Amino acid sequence: MDLSNESISPAISPVLNALMEKLKPLIDGGRLDNLVDLLSLVSDLVDLLDPPMVEKLAVLFENATATTWSVSNAIRTAKADSTKSEQPPGVYQLLKLLREPDTRRGVGFALKTLNVIGRQL
Amino acid sequence: MSKRIVIVGGGVGGTMLANQLAGKLYPEILRGEVSIALLSNSPDHFYKPAFMYVAFNLFFQEELKRAERSLLRPEITFNVEEVTRFDFPGQRLKTRSGKVYDYDFLVIATGCVPAPERIEGLKEAGDHFYQYEPARQLAQRLSTIEKGRIFITVSFPQTPNVPHQCGIAPVETTLMLDDFLRRRGVRDKVEIIYTYPTTAQLLRNCLFLQRPTGEILPSIFEQKNIRFQRGFTLKRVDPDKKIAYSEEGDEQSFDILMATPPIRAVDAVLESGASQAPNHEGWLPTNHETLQVYGLENVYVIGDTVDLPVSKAGGACHNQAPVIANNIAAEIRLGTTIAVYDGRVQAVAQMGLNAGMPLWYDYQHDVLPTPPTKLGGLLRHGFNRGLYWAVARGML
Ligand SMILES: Cc1cc2nc3c(=O)[nH]c(=O)nc-3n(C[C@H](O)[C@H](O)[C@H](O)COP(=O)(O)OP(=O)(O)OC[C@H]3O[C@@H](n4cnc5c(N)ncnc54)[C@H](O)[C@@H]3O)c2cc1C
Repeated sequence: MDLSNESISPAISPVLNALMEKLKPLIDGGRLDNLVDLLSLVSDLVDLLDPPMVEKLAVLFENATATTWSVSNAIRTAKADSTKSEQPPGVYQLLKLLREPDTRRGVGFALKTLNVIGRQL
Repeated sequence: MSKRIVIVGGGVGGTMLANQLAGKLYPEILRGEVSIALLSNSPDHFYKPAFMYVAFNLFFQEELKRAERSLLRPEITFNVEEVTRFDFPGQRLKTRSGKVYDYDFLVIATGCVPAPERIEGLKEAGDHFYQYEPARQLAQRLSTIEKGRIFITVSFPQTPNVPHQCGIAPVETTLMLDDFLRRRGVRDKVEIIYTYPTTAQLLRNCLFLQRPTGEILPSIFEQKNIRFQRGFTLKRVDPDKKIAYSEEGDEQSFDILMATPPIRAVDAVLESGASQAPNHEGWLPTNHETLQVYGLENVYVIGDTVDLPVSKAGGACHNQAPVIANNIAAEIRLGTTIAVYDGRVQAVAQMGLNAGMPLWYDYQHDVLPTPPTKLGGLLRHGFNRGLYWAVARGML
């Protein structure tokens, strides 16, 4: 490709000049090569991605964010509740908590999670 | 006394806002000074844009919904309740189950509904993709048509300068349809005609509701052999003869009529008396900066129920939610609103089955269309399949 100034239309040449000025430090230091390699890698990745793979990645993303979200919600709320009173809860209060449907659902969930982990061992 | 914030509607607007409010007002919630309740008439949350894909057999119903409770922070009380009456002076709501909810701040996020019955013959003879069941019916027709004519119409609300739902959807589905019929190998025997009404918000005789995009459409359509016609405002449909008649005096035959039907606010909003929109459409008079409802105290509106000129889109809700969250928080903390909505909407348009075009616009700027790309298509796909749920949870 001939990039000499005569072969480039007058409207484009200031643009090219500005671009070359920006790129010059990268070229001088040999760093442009890395960037070109990086661009090729990104382009290859885009070529490799297909809709089913994007779907799998997206579902993975949803699972990861949803799990992180519910766990951090639970920790935040539990922390707020637990630090409300200066005294640690008494045995009777703990038993009362155990009677609450949400607690039983949570304990059931934790046990079931362990159960399924066990199944996969 | 504790301030009660009640949000009605568990769609994308109500859900994002509830989560953002819970974050913003967390100190007050911990001190018991603020409570947030979300009421919705469905236990499920639907990713509505997926209905468009249902029409092309690209999404299962099971994939496009989640339990609303699972999308809400635990600080939010969620009740499945259909609001039937708004008592604005009394600051309370009545629900179908007979319960009464008092509020200090109310946010209406009930969206809009398609109303094909508002055009004679359209409900009987037309198809659309704005709800699940109609989209399934359209999918069946599109999967079996071998030859003939698919006629596309777009109906705008009659309220001046209010758009139909998701402005770009008719263009998206026209391009998807072209690809879909090519994949099926029947495109050369099926004619596609895209039409647009004479009045599209502030524009006249165009192909899209914003000029720059409207101007590039002819070349895109011509490349794909899609016919297009300006100035076709659907007036009436004859289901027996399969003919669509326009206000302008034209008549066109079809085998499939793929229509963007009229829309309206939900019944409870229509009957609330808060809207003066013509044609009983029910859009709430919205302060375009604060998103409060004009004429009412302590009432905000988000999403499809507004009467603003911006797209009725999730991408609009995404920018409205932080404004309302900040304004309600500021009213509670400072006694005044502080945030202003600039009309921003962003989206990745689905331009055919594989390509996508990221876009944004606001009150001041129109969309500047860029060439659709494969990467844009993959981004849209990733959003449909996963990113959306993080957005609804208020994480993005
Ligand atoms: C086919 C299609 C394609 C689309 N494509 C896009 C796109 O690509 N990009 C984009 O940004 N947007 C798109 N949209 C638009 C987007 O889905 C809507 O703008 C968005 O859902 C509006 O959010 P909302 O919260 O205002 O209303 P909705 O999401 O409709 O939610 C309303 C909620 O209110 C509840 N409700 C209704 N009445 C009552 C009542 N009386 N009491 C209690 N609850 C009630 C409903 O159950 C629902 O949960 C598309 C829409 C469709 C249909």
